Amino acid sequence: MTMTDHERDAIYTALCKTMTRLGEPATPLFLARFALLAAERLGDAGVAQQLIADAADGLTPEQA
Amino acid sequence: MHREFTTYPFEAQRHPARLPELAGGVDARRRPVVVVGGGPVGYCAALGLANHGVPVVLLEADDGVCFGSRAICISRRSLEIAERLGALPGFLKIGLPWTGGRSYYRDTEVLHFRMPSDENQKLPPMVNLAQYSIEQILLDRAKERADLIDIRWQTRLTAIDARERAAEVVRLAVSSPAGDYDIDADWVVAADGGRSFIRDALGLKLEGTSYEGRYVIVDILLRSSRPTERLAYFDPPCNPGSTVLVHKQPNDVWRIDYQLRDGEDPDAAIQPENVLPRVESLLAMMGETADWKPIWIGIYKANALTLPSYRHGRVLLAGDAAHLVPIFGVRGANSGIDDADNLAWKLAFVVRGLAAETLLESYSAERVAATHENLSYGTKSTEFMAPPSFAFELMRTAVLGLATKHPALASLINPRQTSAITYANSPLNADDGLPGAPGPVPGAVLPECPLTLTGAGGTRGAHLTDLLSLPALPGFTALVFADTPAVPSEVRALGTVLAARGVPFQAVTIVAHPSGDMATPHACDHTGRLWPMFGARAGTVYLVRPDGHVLGRWQAPSAARLTDAVDRVLGRPDPEPPGDAP
Repeated sequence: MTMTDHERDAIYTALCKTMTRLGEPATPLFLARFALLAAERLGDAGVAQQLIADAADGLTPEQA
Repeated sequence: MHREFTTYPFEAQRHPARLPELAGGVDARRRPVVVVGGGPVGYCAALGLANHGVPVVLLEADDGVCFGSRAICISRRSLEIAERLGALPGFLKIGLPWTGGRSYYRDTEVLHFRMPSDENQKLPPMVNLAQYSIEQILLDRAKERADLIDIRWQTRLTAIDARERAAEVVRLAVSSPAGDYDIDADWVVAADGGRSFIRDALGLKLEGTSYEGRYVIVDILLRSSRPTERLAYFDPPCNPGSTVLVHKQPNDVWRIDYQLRDGEDPDAAIQPENVLPRVESLLAMMGETADWKPIWIGIYKANALTLPSYRHGRVLLAGDAAHLVPIFGVRGANSGIDDADNLAWKLAFVVRGLAAETLLESYSAERVAATHENLSYGTKSTEFMAPPSFAFELMRTAVLGLATKHPALASLINPRQTSAITYANSPLNADDGLPGAPGPVPGAVLPECPLTLTGAGGTRGAHLTDLLSLPALPGFTALVFADTPAVPSEVRALGTVLAARGVPFQAVTIVAHPSGDMATPHACDHTGRLWPMFGARAGTVYLVRPDGHVLGRWQAPSAARLTDAVDRVLGRPDPEPPGDAP
């Protein structure tokens, strides 16, 4: 099932606004919790492992 | 770095101030409509009113068209409006048409977007031209309507008395080098821009959000064969951490917008010694090697603000005077032109006694709703182009880094360019008689489609939106999908009712297959695309407003149903028209 552009926009904005409200220090923990919940809802360990690799792809430890 | 500044490749004519005939310091003639502000919105309002035969006085504080870097992108919807105002050829002659753009993250292209542009279209989705050209084209057209449009240059509004006697008349005090005087007006259109004098004088307050992020805007002269498209560079190698936008304008003028870094002093940022090196490094990155010259440097801060109502008694506010929308998505001038188009026919109908004053309430209701839609898109674009917090910045970095390998995410980078707005909740809309059918719902604008037109002059190719300009005086149009060119009796009955009231109306039958009947004017869907686009069967009727928005649609409507729909717009006429006492 794919999202409409409008739905994707709304999720993007909701994430931005939630993190803005929580503040920068709490944001990594919020994102970690969101990742765990999303993986749980995926219900597919293989896909979740692939997404972990995709999300890390291109990032380096120095990257801000 | 030193570079000579040059001027825009445009010379504005200067126009002298002039006094009208006065009686006791007051314009000797009471004016049905005074438009304040000679920008794109003011001109479009004046031209629209003139189209309906309403005389207009237009006040402009300056002595010529605008200077400097302002609106540059004109949408298809605005071009359709310009066509009805008789000003389209100038836009197409000067403007650079474009259909899409590219976004880059660092040195990688992450989005190539295209605006809707298919074989049904008559006009490009967007053209670029400088605002001084936009104004000049509209001014040239206004001069052709000098019988109805009286432009008063160098005439500045100094006071507006809309309170005393406001039920009957608005008194305007104006000042010009030729002298000061008053004007009495039945109606005033406030198109006096973002720093509207009228808005302040009436004590009206804009509501909404002002963003902190600032953009430097630079116009330069550069010869380049690069095509016309919107270019966006996020975190580019030439200016790391910044966002840069590039647009091509006619006559070798290029518009460059770039985001200020956090904490950068805006006053210092617009100094040439800080601007020119950034432009130089951008051009080097783009591979533009030709010599270039700066023309103009300015600064921009995004606003998402609107008045809660655009009607205040006899004063109607339009364009930036009524709302300030972010530049991202090019909704500024375009939404103002849409305001003017919505207002002109309604005000004309009220001035000519064809409609009740309540029709003007729908101007405010429809256009305030349109502004909210524009702001919701404009806000999204602004939050992407000028992230208002660390979180928007973080999420943007995530999207830009993922979009190449995960194309679905690229929709988040799309600049959401302006498109025609549907007045879904307009008080004027009739109940949808074809729920779920394809085609424009009540409140939507007509989609474009080619057709063949048979009339007194023979048969010719045309487009659907051309039908609105067929009558000398614009009015309501019934699009009747039928097997034969004859107009059905129910629709003719509506015509009879409206003719008796002096309301302009035309019925156009659209047949699916060429008809041998050359004597009856009609249109033919020769491509076979129009009927399905409208979900039409024989007997389907779409009733369309003078501004091209659909009022209602039905299958084989009765005359009463059609008349009801028009009455809803005009207000029910008095049973006995008021006349002079015997």
